Amino acid sequence: MKHFDNVEKFFTLFSDELYHTGRYLRRRQGVMPGAVVQQMFAMGYRSFPIITLITFLVGVTISLTSASQLRLFGADVYLADLIGLAMIKELVPLMTGIMMAGKIGASITAEIATMKVMDEIDALRTMGVVPEKFLMVPRLIAITLCVPLLVVLADVVGLAGGVLVGRLSLGIPPLVFLKEVFRVVAVSDFLLGIGKTMVFGWAVVVGSGYKGFFISRGAEEVGTATTDSVVLSIALIIGLDCVFAFVLN
Amino acid sequence: MEIIRVRGLSVGYGGTPVLEHLDFDILPGRVTVIVGESGSGKSTLLKTLIGLLPPLAGAVVLDGRPIDFNSEEDLRNLYARIGVLFQNSALLNSLSLYENIALPLRIHRPDQAPAEEAKRVAEMLGRVGLQGSEKKFPYELSGGMRKRAAVARAMVLDPEIVFCDEPSAGLDPITATGLDALLKDLCKAHGMTFVVVTHELRSIERIADRILLLRDGAVRFHGGLGDLDKTKDPYVKAFFLRTANHDH
Repeated sequence: MKHFDNVEKFFTLFSDELYHTGRYLRRRQGVMPGAVVQQMFAMGYRSFPIITLITFLVGVTISLTSASQLRLFGADVYLADLIGLAMIKELVPLMTGIMMAGKIGASITAEIATMKVMDEIDALRTMGVVPEKFLMVPRLIAITLCVPLLVVLADVVGLAGGVLVGRLSLGIPPLVFLKEVFRVVAVSDFLLGIGKTMVFGWAVVVGSGYKGFFISRGAEEVGTATTDSVVLSIALIIGLDCVFAFVLN
Repeated sequence: MEIIRVRGLSVGYGGTPVLEHLDFDILPGRVTVIVGESGSGKSTLLKTLIGLLPPLAGAVVLDGRPIDFNSEEDLRNLYARIGVLFQNSALLNSLSLYENIALPLRIHRPDQAPAEEAKRVAEMLGRVGLQGSEKKFPYELSGGMRKRAAVARAMVLDPEIVFCDEPSAGLDPITATGLDALLKDLCKAHGMTFVVVTHELRSIERIADRILLLRDGAVRFHGGLGDLDKTKDPYVKAFFLRTANHDH
């Protein structure tokens, strides 16, 4: 029964956020001026080093693992096809989503849960502020604006990992590698990657907000809520990725 | 004529009442202090009065009209007329003092010019003795300064009623005395109504016009400070004597 309550609370918060975001975009009220830019800095600028590092390493690892097998069949150049499609359609969205869960989701939960423990959420309510709007709408807008930039960077760096391994391990010239990538990867694949990551980003923000808003009082629960939010966000990302795989294939 | 009338009010959590069948009035322009032992339901009652906890039964009547705690409009109307000072100040740590104090203005008076807003914030900071601290963040202030900043935020809209939850909790005696004096001065100067939850007798003596004592889920005493001497209720006498002994 408790699980049903939690699911209901999650979807109530999710629908509230859709409503508040739509209302804010029309009226531009109920959110602190400059909050979106501040959140873009916190989410985008601070996340991009770890996201680029991880996608580069994933690009290198997948390339190294695949290269030895492809070489056996004399299919060296197909490394570009494999890396291009895998990174742009699947691995970059998934890894970016998981990094967002750890970096952005955890900080959202910790901040909101601490605010709740310190009565700041109640204080906002008694000022006539809707905390679910005031705190979440700037984050949702910021993640929507940041995701395309993060995905482009991650795609470039992930492919760079493939190019590096292709050159060093199989002797594929970078230009040949990239030409092959552009041959097999369509613009729609690239846009799909951005779209998927954006959905993962929204899931991270709403899932983390849910974990922050619905803690019962107590500072000791902030830590638990923060780790739970990362687990929830990753579960949501993988679940959504599965849904995308079913629908798109 | 009362500003808030409470009739048959039961409050609690998850359907379990903490306080039941409360009847009392809050008089305008006075400081009403809610007292009671730990766990007597003081803060729970305050939460209901400030619209954060819907009552289990009964009514809170503001200006002759019961507040519908499920109505956004009623709650918005309530929040436009009250200020709240929380026990741990509850200033937003991510905002400067200026932004903290300007926040209620930006919500309730979105068309106010920035210059007017700045003037009002400076005036409020001046009133609580924090002039020139606009750019500071809450974590840069002492506990007493945070409380005073929270008073400035609670009063920036010139509310009719200010609710305070344990205003002197966690403060040293000198700072607590200063804060009590500030609340009393603001009450006198602006004719505001204060509802204060506290358990510190010295604070009660300094600020209270009226006292509401809670015990066993009900109101045990409600009256002016002078009425305390006339009461024959042994618990009420013992409570204040005990609190006084504990305080001294």
